Amino acid sequence: MIDQFALSQAMGLLFTSFDPWIWVIPGLLIGLIFGSIPGLQISMAMAVFLPVTFGMEFLQAMLFLTSIFTGGAYGGGVTAILMNIPGSSSSIATAFDGYPMARQGKHNEALGLGLAASVVGAFFGYLLLLLLIEPLAAFVLKIGPMEMVVVVLWGLTLIATLNDSSLSKGLMAGFFGLILSQIGMSTTGIMRTTVGNPHLLDGIPVVPAMIGIFAASELLRLRGSTYLVQDKAQRDISIPRILKGVVETFRYPGVLIRGSLIGAVIGAIPGVGSSVANLVSYGEAKRTSKTPQAFGKGAPEGVTAAESANSSSEGGSMTALLALGIPGGAATAVLLAAFSFHNIIGGPSFIRNQTDIVYSIILGNLGQVVLLAVIGLLMLRVLGMVVRVPLSYLVPSVLAMCAWGGYGITGTIAGPLTVAAFSGLGWLMRRSDYPVAATVIGLLLGRMMEGELVRTLQISGGHPMNYLLERPIALTLFIIMILVLVGAPVLKAVRKRKQASAEHTS
Amino acid sequence: MTGKISATHAALLGIIMAISGFITWSALSASTKLNNLVVVAPVAAALLLLTVTIVVGALRKPMSAETETHSAVWGDLLLLSGFAAFCFALTYIGFDVATFLFVWAGVVMSGGKGLWQPPLFAAIFTLLLVKGFGSLFPYPMLTLVL
Repeated sequence: MIDQFALSQAMGLLFTSFDPWIWVIPGLLIGLIFGSIPGLQISMAMAVFLPVTFGMEFLQAMLFLTSIFTGGAYGGGVTAILMNIPGSSSSIATAFDGYPMARQGKHNEALGLGLAASVVGAFFGYLLLLLLIEPLAAFVLKIGPMEMVVVVLWGLTLIATLNDSSLSKGLMAGFFGLILSQIGMSTTGIMRTTVGNPHLLDGIPVVPAMIGIFAASELLRLRGSTYLVQDKAQRDISIPRILKGVVETFRYPGVLIRGSLIGAVIGAIPGVGSSVANLVSYGEAKRTSKTPQAFGKGAPEGVTAAESANSSSEGGSMTALLALGIPGGAATAVLLAAFSFHNIIGGPSFIRNQTDIVYSIILGNLGQVVLLAVIGLLMLRVLGMVVRVPLSYLVPSVLAMCAWGGYGITGTIAGPLTVAAFSGLGWLMRRSDYPVAATVIGLLLGRMMEGELVRTLQISGGHPMNYLLERPIALTLFIIMILVLVGAPVLKAVRKRKQASAEHTS
Repeated sequence: MTGKISATHAALLGIIMAISGFITWSALSASTKLNNLVVVAPVAAALLLLTVTIVVGALRKPMSAETETHSAVWGDLLLLSGFAAFCFALTYIGFDVATFLFVWAGVVMSGGKGLWQPPLFAAIFTLLLVKGFGSLFPYPMLTLVL
């Protein structure tokens, strides 16, 4: 699986001089900052700093850009934990349990959990990439629209589990997101409503909508309080408590490994990536947990599942880029631009002819992950100070940043206005106990699902179920999904009944 | 005792129904082909069904005691309206002036004490935002003073 000679050459490239590593720490810091500010996207950071790489060696440029990617993947989780504002769509599930932990004064532990899960997840993702890059590339080529439909459906099933008090409200919120995703031109070029606004031609911009519905509505709810963490003694940023969180991560090895695996596999599918991976992983962690009722109220397993998956999906997304030359998302598209800057074309010939470079990129990323653990720990002291800011100052400041973030995404007034509209919607939803996350999931996955469904219908000649039987990967994923969805609750119910009857007889 | 739907819940359900009805009507008028309605039609039907379920469920449930005061709701609505106005004003009166005014007013509305602290904080925050956050934007940004 590993070309030993190329591996030793890669070691030589990486460790005979310090040059490839010079830009790694600045890259991680840039990623952490961009990732932790809602509205500043990792891909945007990579694009902004892309021209800087023009004068760099190829490997140096790759390590710099991927370090922004790595730092950003964790940065998004920090604001999700501290303020319930996911820095990007890949951190949505982190907020589900990270934020309740922070409100309980366990922000140090939550940040530690997130950091450790991110480090382990990213490490696992790249390790898998190093071992399996060639077979994974073959797997990616076999992924078609039918497989994508199944994966997206899997992500959507999380909607039903988001509201314990009322399933109908969870479904309502999710379906509302799905119908909102249908605004604008359809994937087949049919013009549906844009409400007369040309900015809506491509549909509602998801990230500004997410910022509005999550952040603004939550900030309004906080208005009556004085601090994010009420107890003064709990407000400190404590390295020992962060480290306690780090250690706690390893109490859930199953969640950690499953999350990393889900992230790596889903991340490898072009166009799906970390946005879906963190949701699927969270959903699976909740379904298989012994205490599913604790999820959404500050369960450490939830943070671990979400962060391990979104970080390991980074390694997965590099699979398609390195092995096939296909960018799986915006961030890898910027990496592809850096490839062309240096006259390099990704794909099978790149792996075959320049295996040492491919290995050095992967090994360099493994090194970056270790550095992230150190840099992240040091930066948490600064980023975590948000809990010490009085809410009377924090709420309007973050609201203003949310509007700015909306503008940063779209470059037009449509961004801030989307943030404003969705903040109102989020406020109404939260008041009536609807899970706002379900709407975001629907909005995020609706368009993706429509496109893949239409392609599946066209390829199958209108007989998708027959076509499913011809697609072994899709069929396997579908069967696993059904088993997980139906089988796991049935098994749990049987076990509960047995336990109850055993208690009754004793 | 039977329950009733709160005004904000009714407003939300009304908004959801209005939006989904409009999107469905618009999609149907654009094209009635399966490709165009593959998501819209089933989702709209599900939304209608769920609305009925939720309304019936809420009406049959015993009435819960209102815990929140009206002033809190109006305070939220006031800040929301201010936020919407701020978002709208960004590209008209400039990011700097709009941010300064919104943050100042927001701090006061959220309980910030003192005469000079809120405007001073708003000014420093705006300066940092324009020079820091704004410089990272790949788009032009209208400012009036800075």
